[in-house]
Amino acid sequence: MSALLVVLALFGAPLFAIIAASAMWGFYSSGIDLTVMPIELYRLAEMPVLLAIPLFTFSGYLLGESGAPGRLMRLSRAFLGWFPGGLGVVALIACAFFTAFTGASGITIIALGAILYPALEQAGYEKNFNLGLITTSGSLGLLFAPSLPLILYGIVAQQAGGNIDVRLDELFLAGALPGILMLVLLGGYVVYKRRGKKLGGKITLAEVKSSLRESIWELPLPFVVLGGIYSGYFAVSEAAAVTACYVLLVEVFILREISLRQVPVIMRQSMVLVGGILLILGVSLASTSYLIDAEIPAKLFDYVQSHVEGRLTFLLLLNIFLLLLGAILDIFSALVLVVPLILPVALSYGIDPLHLGVIFLANMQIGYITPPVGLNLFIASYRFNEPVLTLYRSTWPFFLLLLAAVLIITYVPFLSLWFR
Amino acid sequence: MSLGSLLKRLDALGRRIEDIFLAVMLTTMILLAGWQILQRNIIGGGMIWADELLRLLVLWLGLLGAMAASRDNRHVAIDLLLRFLPKKFKPPVQILLHLFTSAVCGTLAFYSYKFVLMEQEYQTEVLTGLPAWWFELILPIGFGMMCLRYLGHLRRTVYPLREEVV
Repeated sequence: MSALLVVLALFGAPLFAIIAASAMWGFYSSGIDLTVMPIELYRLAEMPVLLAIPLFTFSGYLLGESGAPGRLMRLSRAFLGWFPGGLGVVALIACAFFTAFTGASGITIIALGAILYPALEQAGYEKNFNLGLITTSGSLGLLFAPSLPLILYGIVAQQAGGNIDVRLDELFLAGALPGILMLVLLGGYVVYKRRGKKLGGKITLAEVKSSLRESIWELPLPFVVLGGIYSGYFAVSEAAAVTACYVLLVEVFILREISLRQVPVIMRQSMVLVGGILLILGVSLASTSYLIDAEIPAKLFDYVQSHVEGRLTFLLLLNIFLLLLGAILDIFSALVLVVPLILPVALSYGIDPLHLGVIFLANMQIGYITPPVGLNLFIASYRFNEPVLTLYRSTWPFFLLLLAAVLIITYVPFLSLWFR
Repeated sequence: MSLGSLLKRLDALGRRIEDIFLAVMLTTMILLAGWQILQRNIIGGGMIWADELLRLLVLWLGLLGAMAASRDNRHVAIDLLLRFLPKKFKPPVQILLHLFTSAVCGTLAFYSYKFVLMEQEYQTEVLTGLPAWWFELILPIGFGMMCLRYLGHLRRTVYPLREEVV
């Protein structure tokens, strides 16, 4: 049965159906009435933090449709555009920022890529380098608050059973330095590639001023959201509510870049993504409770414990496993399916749940650009009209750099746990 | 009216209803969540039922969004092998996949319906006094619609109607 499901999954059956089928098969074989499925699904209405998912996703889509990406880009260019490779670094930072707020759904490449790609081209960036840079940047902000995968990891880890306390505000702190490390490595590479090239322009007071004035409405947003969460003033779902209200007010009623008639369309587009994620989360709540009932995590635990010696070996195997996983599964499905299984094992090797979350997401981020099915490769291929093979070629130097970052993040827990 | 245009109209109607529901619920969620923060921090006090309603809205938005995703078969999938399959083998595989998905959704719809009946019997309450099953109805409705949608995809693969050929 499981083999059949795997084959169906690889041929492209919707993942929620695969997960639901395997849970139902499991419950059915152990003689449990299948009304357990809707009961588990109903738990979606029992987790207050889930409110953050529709609210942040909608805000992200709204921002993406507005002129905010252009303003963000102009602002960072005014400050950072002057040194060789400055524009590339601007691209990295703008994308990371945008992804953190929009949740790594590929929307970054669509919203920002359209502005960045021609700008980089005009500045004389070689085509392949340009493509690789933008494709890689599309998932760069995953580790920064308030990214959706980070929130989802926190939710799943709390639901995984046992007395695991993963606080979202701590998780947000844990992701910060590893995320910056990735930015620094990639930024360093860009500057190195552009050494000796002409400067990108000067930093002028006039441009700084005018770009600041232009972004005056969006500027408070990161401070309110991040400041509110990190200071503990807002719960994550509250921060999401503030963001949604504020973005709606600014982009639709104050700046009027999005007409009232467009809003329902954007709502529907964003809720299609939310529905997909929540449905997968719901059915995997069911499959996880079946797995725990059948003591699968405990068996996996014993198996790994008797075969893998030492923390470092475990971490290395974990990295390899997660890289492969990221190459075939999208980040949300991977999170809800795999975290409940590996969390208890990782704990027994003395790995902090916060550190595990950061390792998990960092690996998954590479998955976005790993052939054959990395999501960003296909979005970029579609967006820039280039064959996927060209994108494979253009992303590999960035792939190696991110791999280096992942290894550092994995073997230097301090980066994730410095505040403890 | 031919069968094709009837199906097309039904489909359009379904989409329209879903879109309206999605927009109304998301707007309610945004306004209610925003209002609660204002109330808690500035005015003081709070509504006990609001938190619960917000959580129920998450469930509804999730299922409505999932329904909307199913109408164009936009659910998360891997499709690693399908990409490399020769063209002439694709339709039979797709038929199998649609059949599988609609069977899973149908089963979920059936047991969700059973769940709703159970809750009706036990008279579970939410929001200080409303019957819980009103809000749980979205489960059978959502999965039922998804089942129909995938049967629709199946029918379109086997027997595309004249109106649907672009």
